[in-house]
Amino acid sequence: MSSASTRSAYTSFSPGRIWTMATHTVTQLIRMRILVFMGIISMVIVIAAFAFPAVSPEQQLKLLKDWTFGALQVFFVIIAIAATGLLIPRDLEDRTLYTTLSKPVPRYEYLIGKLLGVMLLLGSGLLLMDLVFSLMLYVKQSLIISSQIAALEKEQAATPENIAFIKDLNSRFGLTYSLHGAVWAIFLKASVVAAVSLLISCFASSTLFTILVGIAFVIAGQGQALLREWFLDKMSGFWQKFLSGAIAVFCPDLTLFDIAEPAIRGEIIPLGVLTEVTGIALLYIVGYTSVAYLFFVEKEL
Amino acid sequence: MKNKILGVLLLVAMGVAKVPLEDRVAATLKAADLRDAPIPLSLQEAMGQMAFTAALGGLRSLVASITYLRAYVAFEDRDWGRVDSLMTLTTRMQPREAMYWDEAAWHMAYNAATSTQQREDLRAAIRNKDFRDYVLRGLKIVQEGLVYNPNNPKLLVREAEIYRDRLKDPRPAAEAFLLAAKNGAKPFYERMGAYELVKLGEPPDLQQAYEILKRHYDKGFRYPSVLRDLDILERKLNIPVGQRVGQPLPPSPQPRRK
Amino acid sequence: MDAPSPSASPTPAVTVENLTKVFKSGFTKKPLLAVKQLSFEVKAGEVYGLIGPNGCGKSTTMKVMLGLLKATQGRATIFGRDSEEVASRQDVGFLPENPYFYKHLSGRETLNFYGRLCGLRGAELKDRTEAMLELTGLTHAAERRVGGYSKGMLQRVGLGQALIHEPRLLILDEPTAGVDPVGSRRIRDLILELKQRGITIVVTSHLLEQMQEVCDRVGIMSNGRMVSEGKLEELISVENQTELILQDAPPELLAKIRALVQEAGGKSQVVSEGKPRTTLEKLFLQSTTQTGDGE
Ligand SMILES: Nc1ncnc2c1ncn2[C@@H]1O[C@H](COP(=O)(O)OP(=O)(O)O)[C@@H](O)[C@H]1O
Ligand SMILES: [Mg+2]
Repeated sequence: MSSASTRSAYTSFSPGRIWTMATHTVTQLIRMRILVFMGIISMVIVIAAFAFPAVSPEQQLKLLKDWTFGALQVFFVIIAIAATGLLIPRDLEDRTLYTTLSKPVPRYEYLIGKLLGVMLLLGSGLLLMDLVFSLMLYVKQSLIISSQIAALEKEQAATPENIAFIKDLNSRFGLTYSLHGAVWAIFLKASVVAAVSLLISCFASSTLFTILVGIAFVIAGQGQALLREWFLDKMSGFWQKFLSGAIAVFCPDLTLFDIAEPAIRGEIIPLGVLTEVTGIALLYIVGYTSVAYLFFVEKEL
Repeated sequence: MKNKILGVLLLVAMGVAKVPLEDRVAATLKAADLRDAPIPLSLQEAMGQMAFTAALGGLRSLVASITYLRAYVAFEDRDWGRVDSLMTLTTRMQPREAMYWDEAAWHMAYNAATSTQQREDLRAAIRNKDFRDYVLRGLKIVQEGLVYNPNNPKLLVREAEIYRDRLKDPRPAAEAFLLAAKNGAKPFYERMGAYELVKLGEPPDLQQAYEILKRHYDKGFRYPSVLRDLDILERKLNIPVGQRVGQPLPPSPQPRRK
Repeated sequence: MDAPSPSASPTPAVTVENLTKVFKSGFTKKPLLAVKQLSFEVKAGEVYGLIGPNGCGKSTTMKVMLGLLKATQGRATIFGRDSEEVASRQDVGFLPENPYFYKHLSGRETLNFYGRLCGLRGAELKDRTEAMLELTGLTHAAERRVGGYSKGMLQRVGLGQALIHEPRLLILDEPTAGVDPVGSRRIRDLILELKQRGITIVVTSHLLEQMQEVCDRVGIMSNGRMVSEGKLEELISVENQTELILQDAPPELLAKIRALVQEAGGKSQVVSEGKPRTTLEKLFLQSTTQTGDGE
């Protein structure tokens, strides 16, 4: 007890501790082999890039994009739910929470750290997948352009005008910034799902329950707009209204993050739209995490 | 307990506060043309529950790409009814995807129509009727696609080609080609429109055709077909000899496709 | 981390005042009274033993002291701070009953993680981690995943993480339960060593004789209540008897002693005479050479 201490004194909010929790969470998830998912997605991307040589070049590009975004969407939402569901309930079941919370760690820091860890994992995973996807799409697109130009040359129609047209068309259907924007939107969506799962896991005590309820929330959040219209228009019963109202109030509207489809189509996603979508995602994340804290702070361990 | 009650209150307050914000973001998305109409509920039966749920879950383009590939397999099997129904599903799922409409129309107006025409086991009258039915089906598909994608050059070109090649109807073919060119199709299609106008033979059409082809000629597109039609037009429109540039096709024409 | 001066510190290390804890659990929500009106105080530098049968509320009391559970009534303080304040945990190290750690981390990473949570960084973190590995005898297993550790090793990791930030108070919940006698001996030696260094220790056990050599004071709990409390000697010594153990004493000497006792008269008398038996524990400690898991 003689060492002159250089350690930081206790403060009620410490980014350092949150970062410790977050990186620890990432290590934990990585060692739970969550990276297998990245392998599966990469495989989907590679298969989608080369599997259908018979269809038209544009369709080939579209298929590559469709399958990549489909896989990203599905797997990252699953990772978000499963990872979050595995964290807190597992800590409770294994009683590892006792040792962590008996250290000078406020409960909100514990929660924020866990969520941040999941988000770090989602973010870096998506970044990696975006790189793989961009590379494949670029290769594919270059191959298509060169084969199309070769075909033009065979027809003796390789005028600069035609070549420029082909390149232009392919760049619209190939790799665009809007596609990265769509990947960002998937990150936001997965993060919101993680925040919702975190909230669920604060009053559930089992992993399975968290995952199942998390999935139900995703379905409701995904179909929210549709369900709202459907119920309110077609049925007038009090309960239907009540239900749709409850869904609108308690679920995040996850369809707001579905911008991959227009991006695949070659539509440009303006920065302003991305900013707004990011804003609403932040609102969801902060909101659900705050509620999660209010539940968690009273949790008896 | 107090915190829990506070938590529930916060959740509800946030829920109520977020609805207008969500509506705002939704409106922004709509304004930027990034939101598609919801999938018609009528598709549920044709698609199957799984696919329908997946499509609702933001996986429309994935589900559509699978029905598209199934249509492609049916195409390889020459099962035209199946091709039609699967492509219909595909286009309904992603009506804003012009490629799907284009390919659906092409399957019907070209592949299906030609393949029936070649069937030896059918009587000529039936063959011809089936041929026409398939072509008209293709035309209908592409026109429906144009409702969802107004002035889409790809679809306009497909429409024009069906009129020109399959229905031998130069006027709508010319109109569609010219509209396509105006909306970003390759300049080549403007000349295609002009060629159709030449076939019509009415003075205003000829005049328009002449203007188009002369403009292309001046820009350096001096292909044999341009020269040939300019020659016809210059004679019919009585262009002064000094300004004439056209020339009839050489005796042994270059083999050029399309 | 001031130099410890046990008796000089006026604030007690721990106070528990009228603590009552009711659990409402299960579908029936039948309330379960786990701790009733419990009060005690631990002075700085003291080793305090909380003993009692399983289910009498020892762990519950400790969890309240660590803010893991909220008291239904009453309160606990740590060095004067309410145990609900997170800041009170700076000075406490806790070894839970049957500790369990993130099994994907190695022993070293585990200690490192807890050290960071306590605000340790850089060279100090590294030094403390290595010191704790050394202290708990886990250096040889530091790279292995905790998932593969034996129960005794987990207990030692638990001690390491509890001590990593040099706390002034150590709370140990059943530290010797399920641990072999060698490990148990070591833990008791460690407690004594820490006590020498001035660290206050609160320890629970349902094994009484294991506690008697380390505790200054004990509280005996039953059904959530404190039934007896005091200095160990006071509680267990039989005041009017004296034990005398002789080595290599010839029978004549023993006869002389008996005669002396008789001569003295009064109420003095020899109550028993025989050969002391070594305890099984001592036998075990003498005859086993293995000093711990995997060494
Ligand atoms: N989280 C809990 N929910 C409900 N009952 C509990 C909980 N924790 C402990 N108990 C009950 O409280 C009583 C005291 O438990 P505990 O403090 O663990 O005893 P000890 O540590 O002395 O063996 C027991 O009857 C136990 O079943
Ligand atoms: Mg206990």
